[in-house]
Order: sequence, then C-alpha cells, then structure tokens
Amino acid sequence: MGTQVPVAWRNILAERRRLAIAVLGAGLAVALILLLEGLWSGLLTQISAYPDHVRATFFVRQPGAKTLSEGVVPVSAAGRVRAVPGVAAAGPVLTRWVVLDLHGRKQVVTVVGFTPGSLGGPWALAAGRTVGADGEVVIDRTLAAEHAITLGGTLGVTGRSFRVVGLSSGTRSFMGTGYLFMSLHSAQAMFGAENTATFVLVRAAGPVAVRAAIAGRTGLSVASPDLVAAAEQNLYAGIMGKIFNLMVVIAFAAGTLIVALTVYSAISDRLGEYGIAKALGARRGRLFRIVAGQTTVLSGLALIAGLLLYLGGSRLITALWPQFQIELTFRALGVVTVAALLMGMLAALVPTRRVARLDPASVYRR
Amino acid sequence: MGGVPVGRRNLFSDRRRAVLGIAGVGVALLMVLMLAAIVNGAMRQVTRYIDTSPADVFVAQRGVTNMHMASSAVPLADLTRIRALPGVAWAEPILYLPDALATAGGRQVAYVVGYVPGQPGGPVSLVRGRAPGPGQVVIDQRVAGSLGLKVGDSVRLLARTWRISGLASGLTNLANTVAFVRFTDLAAARNLSGITSYILAGARGDPARLAHRITAATGLSALTRAQFSAQERALVQDMSAQLLQIMNLAGYLIGLAVIALTLYAATLSRLREAGVMKALGARPVRLANVVLSQALWTVGAALAAALGLTFALAVVLGRTAGNVPVVLDPGSVARVAAGAIVLAALGALAPLVRVWRVDPMTVFRR
Repeated sequence: MGTQVPVAWRNILAERRRLAIAVLGAGLAVALILLLEGLWSGLLTQISAYPDHVRATFFVRQPGAKTLSEGVVPVSAAGRVRAVPGVAAAGPVLTRWVVLDLHGRKQVVTVVGFTPGSLGGPWALAAGRTVGADGEVVIDRTLAAEHAITLGGTLGVTGRSFRVVGLSSGTRSFMGTGYLFMSLHSAQAMFGAENTATFVLVRAAGPVAVRAAIAGRTGLSVASPDLVAAAEQNLYAGIMGKIFNLMVVIAFAAGTLIVALTVYSAISDRLGEYGIAKALGARRGRLFRIVAGQTTVLSGLALIAGLLLYLGGSRLITALWPQFQIELTFRALGVVTVAALLMGMLAALVPTRRVARLDPASVYRR
Repeated sequence: MGGVPVGRRNLFSDRRRAVLGIAGVGVALLMVLMLAAIVNGAMRQVTRYIDTSPADVFVAQRGVTNMHMASSAVPLADLTRIRALPGVAWAEPILYLPDALATAGGRQVAYVVGYVPGQPGGPVSLVRGRAPGPGQVVIDQRVAGSLGLKVGDSVRLLARTWRISGLASGLTNLANTVAFVRFTDLAAARNLSGITSYILAGARGDPARLAHRITAATGLSALTRAQFSAQERALVQDMSAQLLQIMNLAGYLIGLAVIALTLYAATLSRLREAGVMKALGARPVRLANVVLSQALWTVGAALAAALGLTFALAVVLGRTAGNVPVVLDPGSVARVAAGAIVLAALGALAPLVRVWRVDPMTVFRR
C-alpha cells in the first residue's frame, strides 16, 4: 500500500473497453463545450463584421440609434458632413433586413445600399467586382454557393431582379444571415425610402476635432466603428447568450456524470480490494486520493480526446456549413480546462461516498 | 426463466450506478428536448401578432411573405384598389419597422407597428390603459416589466420620446417585442409618405380566393393568415435548422456514449450470472433480451427525467429570463423518444457482444 503504487492509474486501466467508451463520452462533452465556445466567439466576430471591416472613421446616425439597422438620416446629411474640414470622404448607407426565398428555404440577408465608388461597399471580394450601377448586387460567396447563385447570374430580391457582379468573402453574420450589397438608389427604390439612409459613413483625419464638428453641423450622433460593433455584439449576445450558456451547463453536467459513472463502476468492480486496503489501515484521505486520482486521470484523458474531437468536428462543421465561423480562443481553452478539472472533482463525490461507507469486515463476507 | 425481469434487476442492483447512468442519458436528451422546446416557443411567440390578428389576408410587397426580419413597402395607392375588389370586407394599412425601446435602464429591440386608430392592426386586447393617442405608444407588459415602465411613463423610440398609453400582452419573444403607435406618427418619425408596409384585409367568403384575387389585381404578395403564419414559422425553422442539427447530433452522441457505458458496466458486473444462465441453457436471444430490457429501462427512465427537467427549466427560465418561452410539443417528445430507442439499440451492441462471448465454464473457474 506504499504511496508509490499507482492504484488510481491501474484501477482505471483495468477494463480498457469501458475506459475507451468513457473517454469518448466525456471527450464528446468537452468537445461540445469547446464547440459552443468556438461558435460563440465566431458569432460575435461575424456580428460585428460590417463596422469592423468597412474602413470608416465614424458612423453618423440618428441620435439614439445604437445598432446597425436602427435610425434614419436624410441623404443630404452626407453633403453637410463632406463640407466639414478634415473629412476625406462621406457616403450615405441604407441597411435593411430582407428575407429571400431560395429553393424553398428562407434566407435572411442584410441589404447594404451604398453609393458606388464611395464608402460602405464590400471589403473583400472573392470573385468579380464591386457594385458599379443600379440593378447590380454583390453577395457573400458561401451564401451564393449554398444556393447555386453564380457570378453573372440573376437574383430575385422582393420581386426585383438583380445581376450578381461579385462574390464577397467574410460577409456572413448572425445565425447564417449574410450581407447583400447594392447601390443606394436600388435599395431606396426597393424599400420606398427615397432620399433617406440609415447612416452616413465618414473617413477623416484628425478624428477628435472632426467628430465634434460633424455633430455640431448636422445635429446627428457620431460613433466610432468600435462603438457600433460593441452595440451589435451586446444586442445579439443578449438574445443568444442565455441559450448558449444553458447548453454549456448541460454539456458540463453530461461530462461530469460520465466521469462519475465510469469511476464508480471501476470502484464497484474492485470493492473487495478497497475493503482490504481499509482493513490494512488505509485512511479516508488515502482512499479519496485514489478515487480523485481516477477521476482526474479520466478528466485529463477526456480533455485530450475532447480537443481532438473538437478539431475534427469543427472542421467538418465549417466544411458542411461554411456560414458558421468557429474560433478557438485562449479563453475557451481556459474554460474547458477548468471545466474538465471541475468535472473530475465533482465526479469523485459519489464514488468517494461508496468507498467511505465500505465496511472493512465485508471483505471476509465475500 | 421467462417471468424473471433479469434485465431490470441487473440494472437496478446497484442503484447509485443506475441513477448515474440514467442521469447521464437524461442530461443528453435534455439538451435535445430543450433546444426543440426553445425553438417551438420562439415560433409560437413570433407568430402571435399574425395569429391573433382579425385579418383574413395579409398583403405585402411582391416577394415578401412574412414580417419578422422582412422589409415591405407597398404604395398606398394599392389600398384603394384592394378596397374596391369584390370579396373585400375591409382593408387597412399598417407600417411595420424595426427599432428599439430605450430607457435609462435598458434597451429592447422592437418592431413598431403603426396603425390607423380604431381600425384593425393595433393590439387585439390591452391588459392595462388604452389605445395610443398622438405621441403615445402601447408596449408589451413583459418588456414594460423588464425596463421598469408603467402606463404614463416616457420611453424613447424612433429617436423620439413617447408616453405609454397602454400595455398589451404576449408580444415579447427571445429576440424582440412589438410596440404600437399611430400610423401617422410612425410615418412622420421615419419621413415616409405614400407607402405602407402591409395591408390587412377582411374577407367576405373564402380568404384563399380573396388572396388570389388581390395578387392577380395588384401583383402584390397576398397570403391568408394561416399561410402567412406558416411562412413566419418557416423563417424561424430555417434560421435555426443547422444549429439545431449540430446540437442534436452532439446531444445524441453523448447520450449514446453514456448508455453504452451504463449497459457495459452493468453487464460486466453481472457477467458471472450471464455465464450461469448460459450454463443452464439460456439461448442468445434470452441473453439479448436481458441486455435490451436494461437499455430500454435506462432510456425510458432517462426520457422521463429529461421531460421533468425540461418542465422545471421552463419554469426557471420563465422566472429568470422572462422572454425565453419554452414550449414542448408532442411531436418533439415523440422524435426524441424515437432517437432514444435508437440510442438504446446502438448502446446495447458492445454489451451484447460481451454477453454472447461468455464461456459458461467461467462460472466454475471462479
């Protein structure tokens, strides 16, 4: 019974098929936690893709507007903004959600109406060119691939027909939605919003002085892209955060139960040996260390299996459904490592009770 | 031999292990059930405005077939044409635009409905207060509670301050709420003239025939209330389908691992009894029945536990996160039950092989 005997390790390895199923099961739970965390990080990145990449210094909006689709400003505001010293460029942008019916499936897109040659258009093109005239659109390349939309083809949007002139990349957003770029005039005509826009994008040098001057001249609010991005992320995090957190808790509970079940079964099968150990004078602390050692070994193996399963699973998911962006962050790695350690500790509770209550005399009754 | 429930006795001979196994499978099934219940709840809430509307037919811009995340602009001139059509009992316009209710204490994304006072399109019933006058708004009581608002208070909406004249109910979901103002107020706030978002129509006779007649006469999209509601549900379903597939697959895989582990452990601890049964002449079918009955007992108890937990979580979420309705329908339960039976069958494979390979002579070697 010397401390040099790796009892925990030997006990857990005694039934290898059971160990393999347990590592796979708990590994799946760890992989699911990683996947949920990765999907969440990817979701936040996608949600703020427009303000993050549109290369503007400011969003000039109706006072009180927080997110990308809120508010309305007159197109004429762009002219007043351009007249502010230090403003290099200013372009009005109209954004609205639209639901497309594609092959019997509903697909939400954010229409972005911008002035061709000005600010607000697609920031990365995978094929073709940007919008140059009314009646043309640029659509996300993964969205186009999902629905067999090709460069040069046509796309129906709320009863109007548009020619696809470009395929953009990195332009998918919340829950598989995507951006659809068209000219401001096309968007205004489609939405019956003549002479209005949702915001004005500004590129400027000397931002501090320019911000105050724009606000003073137009009476509109001036926000940095970071602020708009944070507002977008807060909005959708509020909507989906509760569900994601609930799923993480459920996956954690499943993993803990798998580890507990495995170690409990391993201990039950060797109860006689534990009785002998107790009869030979092993104290509770020693027995607990043996149990906790097994749950920790199993959690460690589950963590490794979970990482491998995550790597395979996330690649499969993004290959099958490219609209999902999955990002493995250090925070996510930290969360699952802590989760795996906690799993091991919590899972030790039930088997420890079993061993603690064991009567050493029971060995002789068997 | 046939009357002895060996499988059930085997499974519950060690109650702690049985509870751990059932809890593990139950938690995995809980994940699948909860997601289905959340999507069901979201679908029911998102169609509430449509389902409770007195309109028989909803008319929208060509190509637009729903309201949530959709943009529709219909010339008001079409209202006159629709009113003149045979079979139209009444027709009224509504404006429908996304914005956010804001107070110093928080924000909530809101669809603003602008309707003509005294005409259909407004709140069907009010739990408190009265219909909106000029500069007034009716909001949902749930969002009023979360933002700390009551009748007579002020709230920011559409970059203006509005006074709350009444409270409606059942119009707040996971993502947003609905607020009602006068048609003219909303048109003025958004600088809109000559357009409406939707036209609601009452039918004399068959609504489907009227919808067809309106489309033929105006070229607009016209659907019966039931069709319009189904399109709204389809949007939620299509947006959540792929995420649900991923989560369901993960949930079932975890469940499979737990059930395989439970059965394997239970079989392993009773391997000697299996040898005795074989020695006494039990055929492989009898041994398979023992394992399969353990599997069915496990998934049956796990499903019951998962259902109980889902109802409990629905109550908890109702109290802590009031806008996450959880609705469990018989179809979802039946699908999860079918999935659980498949899990039981797959999970029984490894223990079955183990039992079939038991040499009856091992009984005498111990």
